[in-house]
Amino acid sequence: MRNDLELDAIIEDYLLGKLNPQETEAFEQLRRSDAAVDHKVVSHKVFLHTMEEYAQQLLLKEQLDSIHSEIDVDSLVAQVAPHPSRIVQLWRKHKSAIAVAASFIVLSFVSIYSIQHNSQQTDKYVQLSNQVTNAIKTQNNLIRKINTNNNTVPNKAGNPGRYGGTGFAISTNGYILTNLHVINGADSIYVQNSKGESFKVKAVYTDTQYDMAILKVSDKNFSYLSSLPYTIKRSSSSIGENVYTLGYPKDDAVLGEGYVSSKNGFIGDTTQYQVAIPVNPGNSGGPLLDNNGNLVGIISGKPDQTEGAAFAIKSKYILEAMRAIPQDSLGKKLVANKKSLLSGLKRTQQIEKLQDYVFMIKVY
Amino acid sequence: MVNNGLKSSVTTDREFILGILNNSGDTLNKLYKTHFAMVLQFILNNNGDEDDAKDVYQEAIIVLYNKVKQGDFELSSKLKTYIYSVCRRIWLKKLTQNSKKTGNITDYEDVFEVEEDVEHHEEKDAAFVKMQSALEHLGEPCKTIIQDFYIHNLSMQDICEKFGYTNTDNAKTQKYKCLQRLKKIFFQH
Repeated sequence: MRNDLELDAIIEDYLLGKLNPQETEAFEQLRRSDAAVDHKVVSHKVFLHTMEEYAQQLLLKEQLDSIHSEIDVDSLVAQVAPHPSRIVQLWRKHKSAIAVAASFIVLSFVSIYSIQHNSQQTDKYVQLSNQVTNAIKTQNNLIRKINTNNNTVPNKAGNPGRYGGTGFAISTNGYILTNLHVINGADSIYVQNSKGESFKVKAVYTDTQYDMAILKVSDKNFSYLSSLPYTIKRSSSSIGENVYTLGYPKDDAVLGEGYVSSKNGFIGDTTQYQVAIPVNPGNSGGPLLDNNGNLVGIISGKPDQTEGAAFAIKSKYILEAMRAIPQDSLGKKLVANKKSLLSGLKRTQQIEKLQDYVFMIKVY
Repeated sequence: MVNNGLKSSVTTDREFILGILNNSGDTLNKLYKTHFAMVLQFILNNNGDEDDAKDVYQEAIIVLYNKVKQGDFELSSKLKTYIYSVCRRIWLKKLTQNSKKTGNITDYEDVFEVEEDVEHHEEKDAAFVKMQSALEHLGEPCKTIIQDFYIHNLSMQDICEKFGYTNTDNAKTQKYKCLQRLKKIFFQH
């Protein structure tokens, strides 16, 4: 034990270079001759080196700790710590990305707004009325206001109508179909045929959903019509199908020709077609017929900024409206899918036959 | 302006390195304070607290310090980037060890490859921890005697007086006894 300690002391002195040359020489002799001593020297060398490094690191760490203690960590933490609010945290992390996204969104809104702003013009719906329409309504009626100051407008009733539209017979005994908006709020309603004769009518059925009204002539002077020249079309019409309408935008019947331009109406309204026919206030309630004289729809309105387009209620809703009338009271009524009398005739002949069944509606 | 800023930054980095080589306490102080906030932010935003930040940052400084001292540090980038990269590597390893999620590390600086340096440091640190625990196992008064002699470089005369040995030979004998035990513990592990 004692010897071991002395040996350790000598080894350490040897490694630290504290031995004098003679002692060094003697020790190196010993080291060469005794492998166990040599091993001890090597391991102690490793140990001393580790100890030295340990000492260095320890001192460095102490130094760093003392520097660290000079730093006001708390205030730094407050500055750079993740904010308790996730939103602020996200903001800090993704400032630039958020900025890009935000500008993109702003840009999108601007373009969407401008697109909408443009398309809004086509979205408004005009019912083509010359009535002073309800300001809230987005669609204007195709009702013609009869100028009360204009004395040249002949009127057999002697009482100028406030506004008007068009209607057409759906039976021979005086049932007339028109738009509800034409007669809405009326005190009294008259219809005037192509010969200029006026008859008093009563509204017997109104349908707010499809904007339809059925009128019944109550005037005793009314003579029954001969059988209806047109039939009703049950199936829906295709785009491009030629259609025409006869209406009373003025005191004489006016023909409008065109084609079905879209299967849906105002903002995708599936109860209507869009047709390319120039229509004017007063056309509301007019019949829309195809070349074979089948009733395709009822002109009911137009987009307020698009010229040359109109909307027409699809014919199948006419059938629905007609079911609301007691069937036996209709007499010889409008029938579906029967060959119409207009089929195969020239347009001029068609109009000639048709005009007796299309009426101007005058509302007081 | 930009050129000037760049120059002054590089000069400062150079100064830091020269300071470390010259054992300048001031330089170390300045260096430490310059980049701590950056590392603190990084750690706090990646599942750590300020103590983690301190540990990681000090390790990084030690890595830099040792590398500079060994003379194989080439200033190929900003010191800031180097320190950040080392911290990031160390912190990622710690997170993995504690099996915390490491999926999305939030970065605040550029990063470059420091794997070798960090591994080298880990070897050194293992030796450090080994010595530390050996000293802890040694117990008093041996631990203090050894520390005084080898770390604080006290002479045997000082140690003799401090511990009240009758003469330096007794103190020496005691020191070698302690050293023997310490070596035994150290090489055992």
